[in-house]
Amino acid sequence: MKSLDVVGTALTNTLRSKMRTALTVIAIVIGAFALTLTSGLGSGVNKYVSTIVDGYGDDSQMYVMAAADPTAQMPTGDGPTEFDPEKDGATGEFGQTMLTDRDIETIQGLDHVTAVEPIVFTSVDYLQGEDGRQWQVPSVGFPIDAPSLELDAGRAPEPEALELTVPNSWLESLGAETAEDAVGQTVTLAVSDVVGERHTVEAEIVGISAPLPSGVGSSILPSTALNAEIAAAQNTGLPEDRQNTYVQAVATVEDMAAHEMDVKNALVENDMMGLTMEDQLGMLRGIIDTVTWVLNGFGLIALLAASFGIVNTLLMSVQERTREIGLMKALGMSNGKVFGLFSMEAVMIGLMGSVIGVGLGLVAGLVGNTLLTEGPLSGVAGLTLFSVDPLALLWITLLILGIAFLAGTLPAARAARKDPIEALRHE
Amino acid sequence: MSSVPSAPNSPPPEPSGAHGRHRVEPVLETENLVKVYGRGESRFDALKGITFQIEQGESLAIIGKSGSGKSTLMHLLALLDQPTAGVVAMHGRPVSQLKIKDVSGLRNATFGFVFQQFFLNPHQTVLENVTLPLKIAGVGRSERNQRGMEVLEQLEMADKAKNKATDLSGGQKQRVCIARALVNRPEVIFADEPTGNLDTATSEVVEDILFGLHRDHGITLVVVTHDDDLAAKCQRRLHMQDGLIVSEDRGVLSGTGGQS
Repeated sequence: MKSLDVVGTALTNTLRSKMRTALTVIAIVIGAFALTLTSGLGSGVNKYVSTIVDGYGDDSQMYVMAAADPTAQMPTGDGPTEFDPEKDGATGEFGQTMLTDRDIETIQGLDHVTAVEPIVFTSVDYLQGEDGRQWQVPSVGFPIDAPSLELDAGRAPEPEALELTVPNSWLESLGAETAEDAVGQTVTLAVSDVVGERHTVEAEIVGISAPLPSGVGSSILPSTALNAEIAAAQNTGLPEDRQNTYVQAVATVEDMAAHEMDVKNALVENDMMGLTMEDQLGMLRGIIDTVTWVLNGFGLIALLAASFGIVNTLLMSVQERTREIGLMKALGMSNGKVFGLFSMEAVMIGLMGSVIGVGLGLVAGLVGNTLLTEGPLSGVAGLTLFSVDPLALLWITLLILGIAFLAGTLPAARAARKDPIEALRHE
Repeated sequence: MSSVPSAPNSPPPEPSGAHGRHRVEPVLETENLVKVYGRGESRFDALKGITFQIEQGESLAIIGKSGSGKSTLMHLLALLDQPTAGVVAMHGRPVSQLKIKDVSGLRNATFGFVFQQFFLNPHQTVLENVTLPLKIAGVGRSERNQRGMEVLEQLEMADKAKNKATDLSGGQKQRVCIARALVNRPEVIFADEPTGNLDTATSEVVEDILFGLHRDHGITLVVVTHDDDLAAKCQRRLHMQDGLIVSEDRGVLSGTGGQS
């Protein structure tokens, strides 16, 4: 029997009892649908994470934090910890250990570190345009992100000058027709200090930014000098030693690939820890992958259940077609070909189920992605929840065909073992 | 019916006349063939040592009551089953030395089967049923259909080629069966009670077809039956009882009365 005839005969045979085949196929469709959807979701979200990484771009940066001591805030059974004036002030609002200027100097002194810039969180009460109207400022960007900015007009702020960029969604509020019009405006930033007194800082808009998926450019971004000015105004009234504490600092490391571990180890020795962009996103990716695999697990369970459906269907089929099998064997069909014919029927069921299931999964994923990213989640720039990974789809199809084949081996072996004489006598 | 030649691959039979005792090369021969089913208390000796030969181009009837072992003997001759002891040889070569797969191939290439219950696939057309042996042999579709149509024409069933096998009368079904047995141009046709499910008139037609093939194309015919009329048309009859050949007689018996 030719291979083509085996395939054709198998297809005809599976279509013979349409209802039974359809029900078996549905079970596979559910599994294939689930796997397609979850793997597409995983690859879509990971793709989104990648676009965030691309938004940061610079891989020579290492984010440095004070080493977390999880027990520091817990009341211990050993009694109170002795007060250390050296460490006083180095605790942030949320009980987080902060970096001090001394830490910054330490980082600066490490081998392979070419530059350190502390990240200062600032908040601005309002921004006043040239026409006198005042606008709330929900958040302030970090000067360290300036090189990653994507600009519609103008340039990035110079670190030493009192300059800033504003996102392109602000143009109308600033009374500007085009992005170019807004560049060059002088705006006033109002900042409240710790006792509630309001200070103002003047700065020039030098660029109009387009928001990136990473969030860079979606808020105003001051130059280093402007940020320092805002921070100084914010901290007015704080005692000297409470000023200049930082949640994070960004160290620029020369040849990150070669020196990453050296710098990290040196930081640990100084009670600090360093994370590269990859480290931070690696954790995120790990979580996404774990969730994806858990969801895939449910899909696999559905497929496992479906495979028993195949076994059941084909066992019935073998039973019903005992005489046909007997005849084929009497007419000279070898055991191997009988086995091949029945396992091919299982593969056919698997093929139908996987094609329909993967197809439905793709449609559901793509439609759902469009509805969500253009609907409730339209505010998230560059968000993809579902992406088509042809290789993954191929693997899913092959996996299902493999499972179907395995499920078919038991009935197929039973068919192949049948004694032609017994089979022909079967009523 | 025999007006359309079908190019059989075996040479025309030597005229082994009603009284001819001269030896022709045997197609199949057996030596001390024993078949035992079960063991211990339920042991049943279906065949108790059978030695005989089937000559090229002869027509042979194996006659006996049910339980006499005639079907078992046919299954062993047709290589559908293995003997407990003894040898089946084809063209002088013991078959037991062959691999199972080669035995399947041999069956496909050299034997045709006609069954009492027809065993036609109701889901397939007449043509598909007829060409099944060729499909198993790995013959391509177009050649398959061409050869299938040839044998259907030979049996005057060409107009039914596209019909479902279930839409046929008993006689037509058996003709389709014979077409299927013939399509691979076999050397030997085994017919197991070929007229068992047919009325007298239809039986006559089917018998005429079978013996016509035997006569005109030199196909060796082995008929298993308990119908004396059918057996009488064969050149040789083996009478079986309790797993042994109890008597053998030769010559086509004329007349339709019940001969022994």
